[in-house]
Amino acid sequence: MARQDPGSEDPGWLEADGPSEVVAAAKTQRRIAIGYVLVFAIAILAVPAVTVALPWWSGSRLLGGMSPSFVTVAGGLYAFFLFLGVAAARLARRVEGQMLGTSEDEGPEP
Amino acid sequence: MSGVDSVSLVVLAIVAVFVSVVAWRRTRATTVDFFLAGRRTGMITNAAAICGDYLSAASFLGVAAAVYASGSDGLWYATGFAAGFVPVLLFVAAPLRRLGTVSLPDFLAVRFRSDRLRVAAVVAVELVILSYLVPQAVGSGLTWELLIGEGIAGLSPYATGVVVSTLAVSGIVAIGGMRGTTWNQALQFGFLLAVVIWLSALSWSGGFSYPAAVEEASAAPLQVVVGDELVTVRDRLRGGAATFGEPGGRYGPMGQLALLVTLVLGTAGLPHVMNRYFTAATGSAARMATVWVLGLAGSFYALAVMLGTAARVLIAEQADQPWLGPLTVDGVLRVPEHALLVLGRLLAGTPGLAVVSAAAFAAMVSTIGGLLLAAAASFGHDVFSRILRPHGGPRDAVVAGRVAVLVVSVLAAVAALAVEPAQLLTTFPSLIATMVTWAFALAGSALTPVLLLGIWWRGATTRGAVAGIWVGGALAVFALTVGLVSGADPADGWGAVLLAPTLVTAPVSALTIVLVSRLDADQGVVTAVWTRMHGTAEDRWAERVARATLRTRR
Amino acid sequence: MTRTVGPLVLAVTALWTVVTVVSQVLAEPPLSPLVTIAAGVLLTNVLILGYGSTLRGPRQPRPRAPRPPRRQERSDVLPAGLTEDAADQAVSLLLPLLGGDAVSITDHERMLAFAGPGHDHHARGSPLYAPAREEVLSSGRTLAVSGRGDDVIGCPDPGCPLRSAAIAPLRVGEQVIGSVTVYRQTDDPPRLALVEAAAGILSLHLELGELQSRERRASDAELDALRAQINPHFLFNTLNTIASRIRTDPEDARQLLVRLSDFLRHALRPWGQFAGFSQEYAFVRTYVTLEQARFGDRLNVEYDIDPAVLGVEIPVLIVQPLVENAIKHGATGKVGRTTVRLRARVDPLSRTVGVTVKDDGVGMDGPTREAVLAGEQVSDSSGVGLSNIRARLELLFGDRHRFDVRSAPTTGTTIHLEIPLR
Repeated sequence: MARQDPGSEDPGWLEADGPSEVVAAAKTQRRIAIGYVLVFAIAILAVPAVTVALPWWSGSRLLGGMSPSFVTVAGGLYAFFLFLGVAAARLARRVEGQMLGTSEDEGPEP
Repeated sequence: MSGVDSVSLVVLAIVAVFVSVVAWRRTRATTVDFFLAGRRTGMITNAAAICGDYLSAASFLGVAAAVYASGSDGLWYATGFAAGFVPVLLFVAAPLRRLGTVSLPDFLAVRFRSDRLRVAAVVAVELVILSYLVPQAVGSGLTWELLIGEGIAGLSPYATGVVVSTLAVSGIVAIGGMRGTTWNQALQFGFLLAVVIWLSALSWSGGFSYPAAVEEASAAPLQVVVGDELVTVRDRLRGGAATFGEPGGRYGPMGQLALLVTLVLGTAGLPHVMNRYFTAATGSAARMATVWVLGLAGSFYALAVMLGTAARVLIAEQADQPWLGPLTVDGVLRVPEHALLVLGRLLAGTPGLAVVSAAAFAAMVSTIGGLLLAAAASFGHDVFSRILRPHGGPRDAVVAGRVAVLVVSVLAAVAALAVEPAQLLTTFPSLIATMVTWAFALAGSALTPVLLLGIWWRGATTRGAVAGIWVGGALAVFALTVGLVSGADPADGWGAVLLAPTLVTAPVSALTIVLVSRLDADQGVVTAVWTRMHGTAEDRWAERVARATLRTRR
Repeated sequence: MTRTVGPLVLAVTALWTVVTVVSQVLAEPPLSPLVTIAAGVLLTNVLILGYGSTLRGPRQPRPRAPRPPRRQERSDVLPAGLTEDAADQAVSLLLPLLGGDAVSITDHERMLAFAGPGHDHHARGSPLYAPAREEVLSSGRTLAVSGRGDDVIGCPDPGCPLRSAAIAPLRVGEQVIGSVTVYRQTDDPPRLALVEAAAGILSLHLELGELQSRERRASDAELDALRAQINPHFLFNTLNTIASRIRTDPEDARQLLVRLSDFLRHALRPWGQFAGFSQEYAFVRTYVTLEQARFGDRLNVEYDIDPAVLGVEIPVLIVQPLVENAIKHGATGKVGRTTVRLRARVDPLSRTVGVTVKDDGVGMDGPTREAVLAGEQVSDSSGVGLSNIRARLELLFGDRHRFDVRSAPTTGTTIHLEIPLR
């Protein structure tokens, strides 16, 4: 779906956003961010909570001398943060593309 | 020590000066160029520069030291440092860039349309910068002490390190501006990452096995040096003796929670890191840069943690080396911050020590550079050209910024000289990392709440924001002072909350903002600001221009 | 199992596997089963709640290839009317059921399909021989005949093995459009009641197929009519607004023109009955921006959009007319500021999309509401009326949707719409 002149090299004008649609987009982005930050908080607080609740978590051995707790904190959480970040950034960008601007600007699918 | 070390230091200094001079020649010293690298930084370069700003002595030496000294509990520093970027990504990155201002106080002032808020924010920002600069200066002092071991011009080795690093970096920043430091930061982060990878590769090729090392380190109770004696660390969770591989070596539940919240919330309020976001090309680019930061910083921290473990094991194994004698007591380092430096020498001889020292200096230089620049931007731009001399030219603002750089760095150096590392080390193993958390606590209490609510809540008013900054900042300073003066136990209970107060102060600050804003009769209309901050019009236009340019080139 | 719940099923299975392995196999010693169950239940709940949450974001709209309408996909016996292919299928289905040796289906002129002995000379396209059939076709009664000869089966081939038959008419509505014949090789004709029942079933299918294709034609035509049905008042008003700004605020006028072109593009796009919600939302936004240019501060529109709803497919030209109605009934009949709220949610567990449009305008009393819903012209109601929207939803979803209108004078109108996820 493109305009009549898809090959044009004119970047066009700065198309302004309407205030009410920006408010809507910000609200939706806030929902997304709060949802993700809850997941983040639960995950990151679950580690110390499990440490206190389950002796097995820090006492047993998964890989050689490492306990599940050690593996999680030494590597697992970084991978989790990255995964969370990629998911959140992609979602935020797609939602932005769909809630603001005209349909031809809908963000390129990553 | 040996001549090799001084040579590599000289090389590092030459590289830094070279980069700055090249950048300086490309920089027309307009305000935007000086403070913001002309707003044309690539995404990955920007991500690397953010890491360069962020990864300081606390990350490079401090994380390994925390792991070395506290085992499993020391890992939480690294986790907290990396986790801090998740809220930044979710809540701050894109809107911060989209409003298109010059510095953190400028952002808040434009959002709330108030110069009173600008002043409050500048005070908070300068305070955070100062408290972040001190541990960096302490780190350079400690490194100089170990590496060179001699003072210049009658100063102690520690004092020499502090003075030399301060002078060098403030010189670079005052001359080069941010374009210089953007490339500098990105390069220095690359250097840091390379050094960490190199050390890891060396230890792997030497037959090092991570799981086996954790096993070995956990075999005996965890011990640290206090005074001249080895002391067994008490397990804070279960009582008895703590071991390396299990939690409890440093924190009780409250201590861990307080530290984590402090680090996670603090990052979003760090002016030198947030200022980088203004240089991204678009809001989405700022967000994607944060994703890169999560990846890059995550890899860095995972390796740094592993090296801390390696240091624990290897140093104990080779404690009979004669040069290790004065540094250790029965195979345990006196100063945990020396862990990576010693590991470098163990793995690659004196060149290894030189390279690690150079990396430590690079970390400090890049962070100090970012901090001084943020100080310059918030003073030169926000105070001088907006309030003191609204009609002065951009040159005056740049000059004011340079003056601010010198003032702040001298203050930080004086504070670092006043600190006696040897005394604090007994209360705080891994001193640098601990001192950095104080800066995080200030930032997270005074700046993060107002930033988050200002971005996402239209009802926040100027009065609410000002009250939030003052209440949050004052409470944090108060809590830290009481904690330090009373010698509270940072590991658990109230002591932990006093020394990492964000857990309490940030909610109080947020609550203040909400209450004062609700009672405020002067509800400003934010429509225009909101449309710029959350709208993507400029992003879309920039992307279309970029696409059109690409098509023309093809 | 539907496609969208599949991942949840997989995830729950994987989760329990992991929980069991971690707590029972990896742990030394294994944890108590209670811990495993507690952890599994907790995590499953988190998963189910998370599945419905905003984190999953918009579903990817499927590629918008023009696809045949749904109902054609049903494999009925006579799906596409009385054609030769369909008749072929029907006779081979009927042959074993009706207790005869051969079965045929005809229309008024010729044989459409034949199965059983004698198919060599009763083949498709051959003329109709039995005089009794003509009576059936004209009278619509069911007849049985037996015995060879011109007056009975009427087959000109002397070697034909068929000796008796029962002939029943096929109807669509009141009209006889063909016949079903069951033959036997004995003189004892097949049971009339059975043949009549079979013909009745076939007739019913034919009738349904006819009805559907007529509806489909009607709704497609209706949609085309809707596309062309842009409210002329709206267009004039918008053009006037733009004209008046060209001098005072050229930048604003240009923005409005861009929006107007976008609006027309959306309104006239030739796609099918469904489009992604984001498309329809963009359409609503352009429309609202143009209206806001006219009403200024008097019109305030608030959107509350769940991120997950952006990618689902909804019928085209439903949401924008609802908003247009709300603005019309809210803003034009009232002095002062009007607020219109559009709220869209998706519920992945009940698999529905909910859209609510609420205004705080003058509202309607009971009789007016009934009249509007019944499609009567209440006032200046060009544009797409509620009755039209209701009829289309009825057509597309049958009773698998909800369409509530709540309204009272002075409190405004709330329209809530719930349709199944596709």
